[in-house]
Amino acid sequence: MSDPILSLQHVHKSFGEAHIIRDANLDVIPGERHAVIGPNGAGKSTLFHLCSGQFAPSEGKILLNGKNIAGLKPAEVNRRGLARSFQITNIFPGVTVFENLRLAVMRKHNLQFVFWRSAARLRVVNEEVDDLLTKIRLTDRAQTLASQLSYSEQRSLEIGMTLASDPQVILLDEPMAGMSHEETDYTAGLIREITEGRTLLIVEHDMSVVFSLAHRISVLVYGEIIATGTPEEIRGNARVKEAYLGEEAA
Amino acid sequence: MKYAPLLLLVTVAVLIALPWLVSGSMLNAAVQMLIAALFAMAFGLLCGQAGMLSFGHAAYFGVGAFAAVHAMNAFGGEGLLPTPLLPLVGGATGLVSGLLAGYFSTKRTGVYFAMITLALAELLHALAPHLKTVFGGEAGVSSFRMPAWGIGFGSLNDVYFLTLVWTLLCIGLLYLFSKTPLGRLALGLRENAHRLRFLGYNTHALGTLIFAVSAMFAGIAGALQSMNIEAANYVVLESHISTAVVLNSFIGGVRVFLGPAIGGAVMTFFGHVTSDLTRVWLLYQGIIFVLVMMFLPRGLVGELVERIRNPSGEGFARTLSTLLARLASLAIAAFGAVFLIEFLQRVLSPEYRAGVTDGNWPDIALFSYDWAPLSVLPWAFGLGLFGIGIALVTMVNRRVAARKEAQA
Amino acid sequence: MDQILFALLNGTIYGLLLFMVSAGLTLIFGMMGVLNFAHASFYMLGAYFAYTLQPLTGFWLAIILAPILVMGVGILVERFILRHVHEHGHAHELLVTFGLSVVIAEMIKMVYGKFAVDYRVPAELNFAAFSLSGIDYPFYRLFMGGIAVVMFIAIYLLLTKTRVGIVVRSAIYRPQMVEALGHNVPMVFMGVFGIGAALAGLAGAVAGAFYTTNPNMALELGVMVFVVVVVGGLGSMGGAMAASLLIGITNSLAVGSDFRIADILTWIGMGGWAEEIGGLLTMRMSSLAATLPFFIMLLVLVLRPSGLMGEKE
Ligand SMILES: Nc1ncnc2c1ncn2[C@@H]1O[C@H](COP(=O)(O)OP(=O)(O)OP(=O)(O)O)[C@@H](O)[C@H]1O
Ligand SMILES: [Mg+2]
Repeated sequence: MSDPILSLQHVHKSFGEAHIIRDANLDVIPGERHAVIGPNGAGKSTLFHLCSGQFAPSEGKILLNGKNIAGLKPAEVNRRGLARSFQITNIFPGVTVFENLRLAVMRKHNLQFVFWRSAARLRVVNEEVDDLLTKIRLTDRAQTLASQLSYSEQRSLEIGMTLASDPQVILLDEPMAGMSHEETDYTAGLIREITEGRTLLIVEHDMSVVFSLAHRISVLVYGEIIATGTPEEIRGNARVKEAYLGEEAA
Repeated sequence: MKYAPLLLLVTVAVLIALPWLVSGSMLNAAVQMLIAALFAMAFGLLCGQAGMLSFGHAAYFGVGAFAAVHAMNAFGGEGLLPTPLLPLVGGATGLVSGLLAGYFSTKRTGVYFAMITLALAELLHALAPHLKTVFGGEAGVSSFRMPAWGIGFGSLNDVYFLTLVWTLLCIGLLYLFSKTPLGRLALGLRENAHRLRFLGYNTHALGTLIFAVSAMFAGIAGALQSMNIEAANYVVLESHISTAVVLNSFIGGVRVFLGPAIGGAVMTFFGHVTSDLTRVWLLYQGIIFVLVMMFLPRGLVGELVERIRNPSGEGFARTLSTLLARLASLAIAAFGAVFLIEFLQRVLSPEYRAGVTDGNWPDIALFSYDWAPLSVLPWAFGLGLFGIGIALVTMVNRRVAARKEAQA
Repeated sequence: MDQILFALLNGTIYGLLLFMVSAGLTLIFGMMGVLNFAHASFYMLGAYFAYTLQPLTGFWLAIILAPILVMGVGILVERFILRHVHEHGHAHELLVTFGLSVVIAEMIKMVYGKFAVDYRVPAELNFAAFSLSGIDYPFYRLFMGGIAVVMFIAIYLLLTKTRVGIVVRSAIYRPQMVEALGHNVPMVFMGVFGIGAALAGLAGAVAGAFYTTNPNMALELGVMVFVVVVVGGLGSMGGAMAASLLIGITNSLAVGSDFRIADILTWIGMGGWAEEIGGLLTMRMSSLAATLPFFIMLLVLVLRPSGLMGEKE
């Protein structure tokens, strides 16, 4: 097994008295598609917030490429090659879809404080945006305001923006929530395609997607990772069954 | 919108021909209008495009104004730069103070940002009287425009053209700025700074920079102002300057590119023409602002652009007749309200009250009639007109609503 | 030593006054998400209303009626203006209240003129509470502090001990939830807005008699209140209290101080240089007192951007 690209070591997060993540340990191997599953409120999104710099962990280390990123600012984490999407759609609502993606792409080309060039003439950037638009099937919506997209279109845009910075590690938080069957299938294919040569960590409730997409799965229950393994191993795991059935029985 | 370039061309042509078209007093007003337009555009960059509401923009206008007079006085009155280039000094000072103030104020966002900008402006305003060498104390600092490049800069015409060139140039630069990557990121800041951070951007630095650019253009406007009157006094740091730019820009509409400029110019124009007629122009300005924010939240220009882009689908004649009916009824209501306010203002003015002797209230002349303040007549007249106007507007609105319902 | 004691007492009382206004602002913000720019205008209205009523009703009734009138104004503003623009978002609401503050200030100028009016502490309250080293301490200051303290206790009890208070407190955190439980949230909002306005009005009615009552008082106090809120954090009453006292006390300590920055520099042998530069370096603290709160704010922004007790945005 090669060195993990993303590694959580004894990570702990509490808000006041509430211990949301307890001693989480997780190694994500370069190139794998790794899913995190767990019941509602288990702390999956919180885990992503910790990895992406939204929150600093109360204790523990988060290593990206062997370097501790715990407590770094989101922008810094992004620059080190980790990009994420959000469970609650997080886009630029008042500008066009094209602009949303352009803002996302520009960073990669170090176009932050540039005020002497026209954005419309940045050929490479605009080509990449067109490329992304094709991938997320929003080409003919390019000039629509993002706020006027349908819910599932906004979800696609969310994924597109996450891809834009060409990250090594991608974190997707319930990318398919609210999508139709056809859209889910397409998006699963898209994720498969775009994560070629990258590492994916995904939270998803649709189990058919999770089991067909993921190389490995971790199960998070009440802030603890109770199991990690291949889909087969997870299917057969007694504790996982108990956790899920217990949840359903309750 | 296809007529926009043509309209722009005509406007510029009229502006160039203006000295031959209007009187000296009007030309003076035009200079003020241009300066207000540029100042509002600077504010619009920060507030409209980047979504950061500043209540203290007088500070950067003010430092620009003072920097320009000091630059004029430099080298024993020779001037730091030739007169036409002096606004650069105002711009540079604005930029530097904007970087400093922006660093602090963009540490927070939203309402906190707004409060910090106000506090910083008040800080400068409180310090200014103590720093006599810089701000000149009560008397302020005065100066002379020196001739340069074969132009005298003594006449109003010269000043007008100087202001016009700088204003158009700066508005052009602001337009170009909005098309650059940094200008696009301003929109990102306004729409969702949180997401920008997760895309790897340094939002604090971005905010500071955009704040500084806005302060730079405000500084240029301030420099033009002090060059126009050949003096600067710490009155330019007072809060009503900051207030005026907020009101003007939003009345015009901050989300359309030229909205602030038009708002600034139009309101300054009305301020000028009404200065002999009323003493409470600021009150009207405040009321207009509140009404615009309540009923035309996009601002006047914003609303106009929206109507042109998305016509109501009722056909030109219908739309026009509705518009005229609305305007006519509003005019009646406005006349009633203005009458009441002006009458009240006159009754309450100290001069009038000094003339009241033991229960004898002299008549008051208003709109070429004499009105007795103790009779019902003037009050009923004002209130009546106001009421009729409002009733008419309500009627027109009901009709429009009924038509829409019938269509649906 | 006595000087310092006086300054501390003055500062505490000024701080309590600041808190009376910032508490209402914080309450309204916490509950409705609206930063009410016109809040300090309510303070000014309170002073002017009380000044107008005083000759008719006497001082005591005036300082009771004035806040009630201000509450009426507040309720009208909330019901007919703020609610109307609610759909356009909080920034829009802030702007509308900003416009209102302009309108109120201009109306005051129109009715009462541009200069201070003669609103004074009534004779029966104008005496010395005690004296130290021959300096009298005005009773009225203690009276203002007392009113502020009584108000807080009343509000605290209202918020924590009554059913209405529980609804209000939960409406701050979960307005939809409270609405779903069948409470009339718009009504609660209107009430909170009215009470916040009345608090500011009371502060104005009481303080206007001691300090000056002029058309600038809203801006002057308003800026201080904003500084308090930035320093303390809008979210928390505790923060507002701490920041109010901090600003009130530093302010009045500075007023009585002859200290100059040049004096420190003399210690490290740069006194001569400082005297030469002049400007800020040789200014007495007392003349800079008005600017001290702003510097505290800047310091807080650098060291603890989210405020003394504020949460991160
Ligand atoms: N900022 C916070 N402060 C306090 N508690 C929080 C905070 N954020 C999340 N929580 C709590 O942490 C728990 C886990 O939340 P989280 O959003 O991580 O769950 P999740 O596994 O993503 O759930 P879901 O499947 O519904 O998205 C929840 O009980 C939530 O209430
Ligand atoms: Mg989640």
